[in-house]
Amino acid sequence: MAVDNEAVQLAGAFIGGGIALAGGAIGAGVGDGLAGASYIEGVARQPEAQGRLQTIFFLTVGLVEAMFFINLAFMALFVFVQSKG
Amino acid sequence: MTLKKVSTGAAVLAVVSFVIGVVMIVSADPVEKPDIEIGHHETKSIPVLGDVFIDTIIATLFAALLVLLLGFLARKALTKDPDDHVPSKLQLIWESVVGQVNSQVEDNLGKVHPYAAPLAISLFFFILFANWIELLPVKVNETDHLLSVPTADTNLTYALAAVTIVSVWAYGIRQKGLKGYLKHFFEPFPVMFPLNLLEELIKPITLALRLFGNIFAGGIMLALIGMMPFWIAWGPTVLWKGFGGAIAVIQAFIFALLTVLYFAMAGAGHGDDHEHDEHDEHDEHEADSSDEKVAQTA
Repeated sequence: MAVDNEAVQLAGAFIGGGIALAGGAIGAGVGDGLAGASYIEGVARQPEAQGRLQTIFFLTVGLVEAMFFINLAFMALFVFVQSKG
Repeated sequence: MTLKKVSTGAAVLAVVSFVIGVVMIVSADPVEKPDIEIGHHETKSIPVLGDVFIDTIIATLFAALLVLLLGFLARKALTKDPDDHVPSKLQLIWESVVGQVNSQVEDNLGKVHPYAAPLAISLFFFILFANWIELLPVKVNETDHLLSVPTADTNLTYALAAVTIVSVWAYGIRQKGLKGYLKHFFEPFPVMFPLNLLEELIKPITLALRLFGNIFAGGIMLALIGMMPFWIAWGPTVLWKGFGGAIAVIQAFIFALLTVLYFAMAGAGHGDDHEHDEHDEHDEHEADSSDEKVAQTA
């Protein structure tokens, strides 16, 4: 039984969105974990540096999460826009 | 009411509503396809510019007016009673933010630069208020919002990133001269020119898309949560709006901090930390002369 083009397009859009989210989540999780680990180690080594290290930690978390959210924006593009037309 | 009683009551309420929700969802009709419109903006025709997204513009003006209003209120509170003046909360907030940004600017640029520091402060407050609009319940019906979130529109974030990056380039060219600034693309090794150029062009794009992606994803999640029945949707809505508010603060802070860091990178050169002392003296000479230029033009 032949599958029509619309079904293939819909399936492709959803699978693409899923892959984008998967890669983004894995990358963001690993990146945040590494940043947190370095922060904890730095604070354990030198507790009075906590304030300065906290700024750098949040900066790194923001940069790592940025990649994830760019992935999320593309997932929204694939799933909500491309799958309609 | 003790904390224990309140938390027990809240836990019982959550469990009961969850159970009722599950029972009703399981026994309800199958839900239809999600009808979420992405990227739909109201358009209006303006004489010179053509079609514009009027909802983004109105929300932007709202956030900007809020920043201006709070700034003027803080200044009015400041000049009220010079002796024995107890700072108001608004003034304390402004002073703490300005102090933080000034210390960052001083650490990275060598002095409190008269353009970079106010730019970073304004960006922080404007982006913060524009992001916090998402927390307001302004949805009138399925398609109408009183105020849309301006930073969930790429137009605004690209505009902010464009202003920032052009300022950074102007600062870099003024600090080093046009030739010096162009030469720094070939800095560690001439073969790295494509990479350096790419990095410079990627900066505004990531600035814009990072802010857009964070806030836009929050909006999508709210739309998805809104599809749940109302007697179960309040819990996830409260949690997600709380999380979204924190993300708003973090994203505004990152935008402002990265602005300051890009200024520092444009003025000081590519990661040559060991040359930092020479550059510091050089920068201070340049900074003094640029101070005089600013004082003359002001």
